[in-house]
Amino acid sequence: MGKIEWAMWANEQALAAGLILLTGGIVGVAGQFRDWEFAAYAIAAGVFVCLLEYPRGKRNKGTSVERTGQYCFTVCVKSFGPLTRNYYVRAFLHAAICVPGGFILATVLGCVCLGIASLIYLAAAIRGEQWEPILPRKESARKPVGESIKLPPQNPPPRPPAEMRRKRAEDLEAAAYVNPITVTANDD
Amino acid sequence: MALSVRSWVANEGGKHLVLVLWLGANTLLFMRTFLMYYCGQQYHYLHQMLGLGLCISRASASVLNLNCSLVLLPMCRSLLTYLRGTHTVRSRKARRLLDKSKTFHVACGVAICVFSVVHVSAHLVNVVNFSVRYSEEFPSLNVARYRGEDPRLIILTTVPGITGILLVLILFLMFTASSYCIRVSNYEIFWYTHNLFIVFYIILIVHVVGGALKYQTNFEAHPPGCLRANQTNPDKTEEESGQAVGDGWSCREEARFQPNSPETWLWVSGPLCLYCAERLYRYIRSYSPVTIVAVVRHPCDVIELRMLKKDFKAHPGQYIVLNCPSVSSFENHPFTLTACPTEKKETLGIHLRVVGDWTERFTELLLPDPGAESEILPMVQQRRYPKLYVDGPFGSSSQEVFNYEVSLCVAGGIGVTPFACVLHALLDGWRHFRLRRLYFVWVCRELQSFYWFAELLCALHHKLWKENRPDYLNLQLFVSQTDGLQNISEERYRPLSSRLMIGRPRWKLLFEEIGRTNKHKRVGVFCCGPKGISRTLHGLCNSDRYSGTTFEFNKESFS
Repeated sequence: MGKIEWAMWANEQALAAGLILLTGGIVGVAGQFRDWEFAAYAIAAGVFVCLLEYPRGKRNKGTSVERTGQYCFTVCVKSFGPLTRNYYVRAFLHAAICVPGGFILATVLGCVCLGIASLIYLAAAIRGEQWEPILPRKESARKPVGESIKLPPQNPPPRPPAEMRRKRAEDLEAAAYVNPITVTANDD
Repeated sequence: MALSVRSWVANEGGKHLVLVLWLGANTLLFMRTFLMYYCGQQYHYLHQMLGLGLCISRASASVLNLNCSLVLLPMCRSLLTYLRGTHTVRSRKARRLLDKSKTFHVACGVAICVFSVVHVSAHLVNVVNFSVRYSEEFPSLNVARYRGEDPRLIILTTVPGITGILLVLILFLMFTASSYCIRVSNYEIFWYTHNLFIVFYIILIVHVVGGALKYQTNFEAHPPGCLRANQTNPDKTEEESGQAVGDGWSCREEARFQPNSPETWLWVSGPLCLYCAERLYRYIRSYSPVTIVAVVRHPCDVIELRMLKKDFKAHPGQYIVLNCPSVSSFENHPFTLTACPTEKKETLGIHLRVVGDWTERFTELLLPDPGAESEILPMVQQRRYPKLYVDGPFGSSSQEVFNYEVSLCVAGGIGVTPFACVLHALLDGWRHFRLRRLYFVWVCRELQSFYWFAELLCALHHKLWKENRPDYLNLQLFVSQTDGLQNISEERYRPLSSRLMIGRPRWKLLFEEIGRTNKHKRVGVFCCGPKGISRTLHGLCNSDRYSGTTFEFNKESFS
């Protein structure tokens, strides 16, 4: 029950699929198999997908955990605005990228995994999720301290008028005042 | 904090020994299978056709067999609880290893993923070689139907190929949903994808039935390589072919091949049956719903729940798993018991903190909003509690508190729940335990949190004073939020207010004090709280102590 954020899972899948595509592409180029140009494309596509998917998005509720060193990637991805914010765009982009991977054996697995990731992104987009960048929290999180605390007091503390303060010998009872806090002897 | 060898061995030695044994078993299996396919006579022709890919793929397959069978065992929680409790496992060191069962499961899982990658890559190379090096000499050895068949077609038209693709896809789904981030934020995705394991195992058993790799059955009668010796080679000299033919290299018959018999089911079926039996047992055990006896609201979003269940026995420190179909049919949430059923009081109690949507909805069902109550009917008649199913109890590391002479229990916030159960047990009778001294440190963010167990702590304190053992319980309470004037003002909670300190505890000083007053003893350190605290304590347990005291670290985690 409750709101499941599909985009987070799709992000993990797309990152893993990008790595698989990259590995398959390297193997295809290194082995110099037939149609190795597809493998070279797979390397480029894998790198692109990894760079796009590396920065994690912000969660709707709760704390978001960043990947190490993702801040510069966040800035780059954020600069594309609605293209990267919208998950429909990502879903179709991944679907389009994965198709040429299916033509040679080495990259077939990467193609299928990226296809699954694109389906999950589609599900996330249908549910209205969006990619929000995780930006460093600003310093104003601390409670703002009032300005008046920084200035020294201008007035003396309030005291009763001078007549009451002066002790009158004839009226000791009235001159005494009651302590607001009970005074007890020190025990230690 | 210098690392001390003795402390490190006491804390980490057992874990690392198991790790070394496991790595050793994997390496041994890999090397043995690799050499069997590399040098074995019965695989000579197959090796010629496929090359190194054959050896690597079969070696990684045998490692996968081992890990697929081991990965299920740490998840048989009822079995582990049985091993842990009632001293079935005699040694405390061995019981400490049971705490790390989830870590072992993760290690086996990672090994499965890594070796699957190796296995798949090697088999892809094999498929290309089956296609390119199609053998006319030994047609029964081939998997391809003709030379140069498209490798992708070979994969899609053989049983091992299709099942292999499905296995990789399921593993991909399981692996990507298991990262820490997803488990913390969307546990359901992790849980549902991980339950695909049963499909994984069924397809795994079908995967090896295909019989794609064959071995030669008659290599005594037909020594590998002898066919070439019989053929006349115009390039070779007379001498060479004469040498090759001699020494019993004559072929008596044609080479005969038979598929490898599948052995994965031998590895996997035992643990799989054990795990399925365990799940069935847990389902049967939690079949009858519990009766909710009382619901109490505490400050700082904590609800105490008291329940009655027939034939339920638990030890302090164990936890149960709740399932409430009115909230969510498939979600199960673990909660540590704060009160175990005893002869005097048969109810079991938990304290749950309202943090996520499941707990919020559950609390709404238990305690309707104070404003929305009707004033006409009395509360008791109106209250209809939802149906609740309890699975458990399951063991955890906090059960060992009583088995040390001196224990230090550090709790952070709601992490006090396992120790609350320990304190309840001490309240009933403390003399028959091995425990002689308990240091209890409770760190909370807000002062109000201490009211959850204020009664319990004061009652235990008074009891120990009356029975002339005031040094049994050493209580320290800390409030980490330092703003505002904070004090527990009630007279009956005097023992708490005089032991309350503002600010965070200084662990090093605490450890030094415990070390000085308990020289040359083994102190059990139990931590249930945020990661920062447990990391600091773990580091302190592993570091140098000048008073000869060994601190053994036991951590309980809620995620």
